[in-house]
Amino acid sequence: MTRRGWVVLAAALLAYPWAVAGSDGAAFLQDMGALVLLAAIGASAWNILGGYAGQISVGHAMFFGAGAYVPLLVYQHWQAPPLLGVPLGVAASLGIALIVGHPTFRLAGHYFSMATIAVAELVRIMVGNWDFLGAAIGLQGPATGRGWYDLTFRSAVPYYYIFLAVLALLLAVTAQMQRSRLGYYLHAIGAGERAARSLGVPVRRYKLYALLLSAGFTSLAGSLYALKTGFVDPDSGLGILVSVQMIITAALGGAGTLLGPLLGAAILVPLQTATNTWFGGGGSGLTYVIYGGVIVLIARFEPGGLLELWHRRAAARLARRGRVRHAA
Amino acid sequence: MILLQVIVDGLLLGAVYALFSSGLTLIWGMMNFINFAHGEFVMLGMYVALLAVTWIGGGPVVFGLAAALGLFLLGVVIYFALIRAVMRGPMLAQILSTFGLALLLRYAAFWVFSPNFVTLPRSVLSGTLRLDGILLSVPRLAAGLAAAALTLGMHLLLTRTALGSRLLAVAEDRDAATLMGIRPDRMQAFAWGLAAASAGIAGALMAISFPFSPAVGETFALTAFVVVTLGGFGSVPGAMLAGLLVGLIQGLSAYWLGPVYKDVVVYGLFVALLWLRPQGLLGAA
Amino acid sequence: MKHMLAILAAAMLAAAGPARAADTIKLGALYPLTGNSAPAGQAAKAAIAVAVDIVNTAHPEFKGLPLADTAGLPNLGGAKIEVIDADHQGDPSVGQQQALRLITREHVAALLGTYQSSVALTATAVAERYGIPFVIGDSVAANITQRGFKWTFRVTPIAGDFAVSYVDFLTQMKRSGRKVDSIAVLNENTDYGTSIGGSIVEAAQKAGYQVMRIVYNAKSTDVSAQVLQLKDKNPDVAIFVGYTADEILYMKTLKELDYKPAMIIGDDAGFSDPSFIPAVGDISQGVLDRSAWDAGKPGSVTYRINEMYKARTGRDMDDTSGRWMQAFFVLADAINRAGSTDPAKIQKALRETDLKPAQLMMGYRGVKFDASGQNLLASTYLIQLQGKSYKAVWPEARATATLQWPMTGWK
Repeated sequence: MTRRGWVVLAAALLAYPWAVAGSDGAAFLQDMGALVLLAAIGASAWNILGGYAGQISVGHAMFFGAGAYVPLLVYQHWQAPPLLGVPLGVAASLGIALIVGHPTFRLAGHYFSMATIAVAELVRIMVGNWDFLGAAIGLQGPATGRGWYDLTFRSAVPYYYIFLAVLALLLAVTAQMQRSRLGYYLHAIGAGERAARSLGVPVRRYKLYALLLSAGFTSLAGSLYALKTGFVDPDSGLGILVSVQMIITAALGGAGTLLGPLLGAAILVPLQTATNTWFGGGGSGLTYVIYGGVIVLIARFEPGGLLELWHRRAAARLARRGRVRHAA
Repeated sequence: MILLQVIVDGLLLGAVYALFSSGLTLIWGMMNFINFAHGEFVMLGMYVALLAVTWIGGGPVVFGLAAALGLFLLGVVIYFALIRAVMRGPMLAQILSTFGLALLLRYAAFWVFSPNFVTLPRSVLSGTLRLDGILLSVPRLAAGLAAAALTLGMHLLLTRTALGSRLLAVAEDRDAATLMGIRPDRMQAFAWGLAAASAGIAGALMAISFPFSPAVGETFALTAFVVVTLGGFGSVPGAMLAGLLVGLIQGLSAYWLGPVYKDVVVYGLFVALLWLRPQGLLGAA
Repeated sequence: MKHMLAILAAAMLAAAGPARAADTIKLGALYPLTGNSAPAGQAAKAAIAVAVDIVNTAHPEFKGLPLADTAGLPNLGGAKIEVIDADHQGDPSVGQQQALRLITREHVAALLGTYQSSVALTATAVAERYGIPFVIGDSVAANITQRGFKWTFRVTPIAGDFAVSYVDFLTQMKRSGRKVDSIAVLNENTDYGTSIGGSIVEAAQKAGYQVMRIVYNAKSTDVSAQVLQLKDKNPDVAIFVGYTADEILYMKTLKELDYKPAMIIGDDAGFSDPSFIPAVGDISQGVLDRSAWDAGKPGSVTYRINEMYKARTGRDMDDTSGRWMQAFFVLADAINRAGSTDPAKIQKALRETDLKPAQLMMGYRGVKFDASGQNLLASTYLIQLQGKSYKAVWPEARATATLQWPMTGWK
């Protein structure tokens, strides 16, 4: 993307809460903006391992869940500000990643995906039967904040900017990674492990680096979810749909690209919200017929993600301009 | 005696797992394709059975065939409308398309049939056999035996018939198969039909004893994933063995450790086995 | 880039939905209309639609029911109530989002909800921050009303109340000479099953019963291991706490494995689902079910309500939908007494609510909220499946049929 493109995007993201502030139901639109950013963080974090390194994990819910559970756990048991639990959640996620990464990275392709599903389901079921972690009932955050440090706001705007800052950090790290050796190696691994190994890439080690980076940021996404929602239970924090949502968001926009996950989130979250708002109250299930239908159509006609369509059109425009110049 | 009963019940259910998983393993092995909508095929098989019982009447043979036929057609249509195009894309597009398809099918059923639970009339097949102290529910016995026979039939179809060798030829090497005059497109469409039909029949067989709603597919999809991976992608005998094993493990762990742990044991053994034998039980190394 | 932003902006605005004129009293309702609990959500939505009809048009035949005989709310000049339905999909985050939409975009005066306790916890937090009354019809987790909230009111009994009712009933049975020494509790392992199952086990042990507990995964494909365990221990009474599919499967498996305790008690949910009786009613004769709803005799208010509900849905009303409907009537009564749609005035009126049993369509001993917002007079009946429908059998004062003990099952 051009420098001007970046400036426009940054300005638009920064201005969004103000731009909608005057409309009826501004709070709801601001809230949706925050949810878009949250989905973008989760999908971008997944993208490091799933997109760049091509290791399709369907178990990232375990990292999201660790990030969501630990902050509410420190609040529930010790009345500590949930914020304190955020780094602990990241640490827990990195620990899980180290334990899980070793055996699962022996597996390739679908076997890896299936193993990650199984491990995540194991974690979900065990947490659901573990009283210290709230078992099936879940954990709550402070419903009304005791002070700023509880990060319990009535308006979604503070959450929006916190999420935006984390997303900016994540995208900056990813952009840096793309240009570094890590990025090249991951790209090579994503293109084909055997070839990468024959080129001398230490495949296992670099896959583990990607997993750690990915797990750490996924955990942050989970923490932000818990701070905003003030609640987590096994389904909302560790369910298979949490993992699938990250994959769909990234894949829809364009996996393995910097802005694909953000584009995916900016389409999927409003689509979900709009269909639910229009058709949800009717109770016919039309919400999901449309949502599922749109996903199918995109996968059918743009299997590489929507960003690819964008690039193709941009390329076509450039080519046209080039022709015009030649004619002149 | 109770233990024997648990084992028999586990194996009968496992045979049904094996049947719907063998469909999944077929397309998985043949096209290297993950289908997240397979559980929805099972669910639709249940509803086709219900419609057949209400409209046509007749016994399990009638609605079993109806479910097989209906789902076979659906599988073929889905292949031509969606899968053929998606197959050429990246692996993520498979997840994207079939997950979207799962939502679409589940909520289309929701729209048409309402979210409420329904059951087939018990007059269809009921009763209990008493065999040497073991109680065998007739519907489950019939479902288990029929499923085992059908899975075996599928295996024979793939290994002993000309059609089967053409299917496997396409799986082995698409280009070479084309040179030999096989149309890979038709074969793959047939495989999708077969896979959906196996799920459909399994659904119809389970509908005799289980209440169902549009949301039941999810449970079966996860079970099928475990069974297929355990058995090795593409191996029907592997799926058969793994299906029986999963049914048995679930029954025994529910009895010994308590029902909440039955999936913990299944997933735990699954992960351990993958670690030790990454190619599955009967998969080629 | 610019096109993309424009499209996104349009999509986001569209997602907020159309705004409506405010000439009626607008209330918002949050149900699980999709997802695993959709059947309960859909039934509740139909019950609320019937209740709106009863309040908005004159129904003098509903004697004693507040607001039924007049059209609309008399203290607000006959203003009609409009309920805006929303789907929270059983997701705590979506529940929060839709509560926010109903409050800030639809400008509702109060909210109703939610079925799942998890969604109740997050959605009531939004209402609390905005100062909008939230009336809970049927979510039973105890902690919902233990957070010091000022805007949350709960009409339904909660887990502990149910446990007390069960133990009272069993003790009464024991005193009248029936053998009730050992009890089995079978509960599914989501928040509903674990909280109710846990409360029952605790209360029964305290009362000196011998208790065994079996916890199982919801949506089982096979329950024979549990039934065999039950058959092995042979308790006098088995209490089932679970959802529809599992309970139907249990009843079938009990018959297949030829086992039946002296009495089975179902804890509402699965046993109250209108799918239960058509599926296994003939092999479950005499099971008890916990319910504060009983359609009663022809001509009664409840019977008429059930007829209206049946005309709309083709099914009988169940306890869950009944509790939603009762919550709506409590809210409508408070708004009428407040004489205003100002949330603070409605909150005050809710606090002053004092409804007597004759003014209710559910079998509570009344509606009166304590400082936490919990209804102090919530209670329940036990109803028994006799023939093709449930009949109220306990407490005796409210019974419409005599209790049969032991249950007959499938003979």
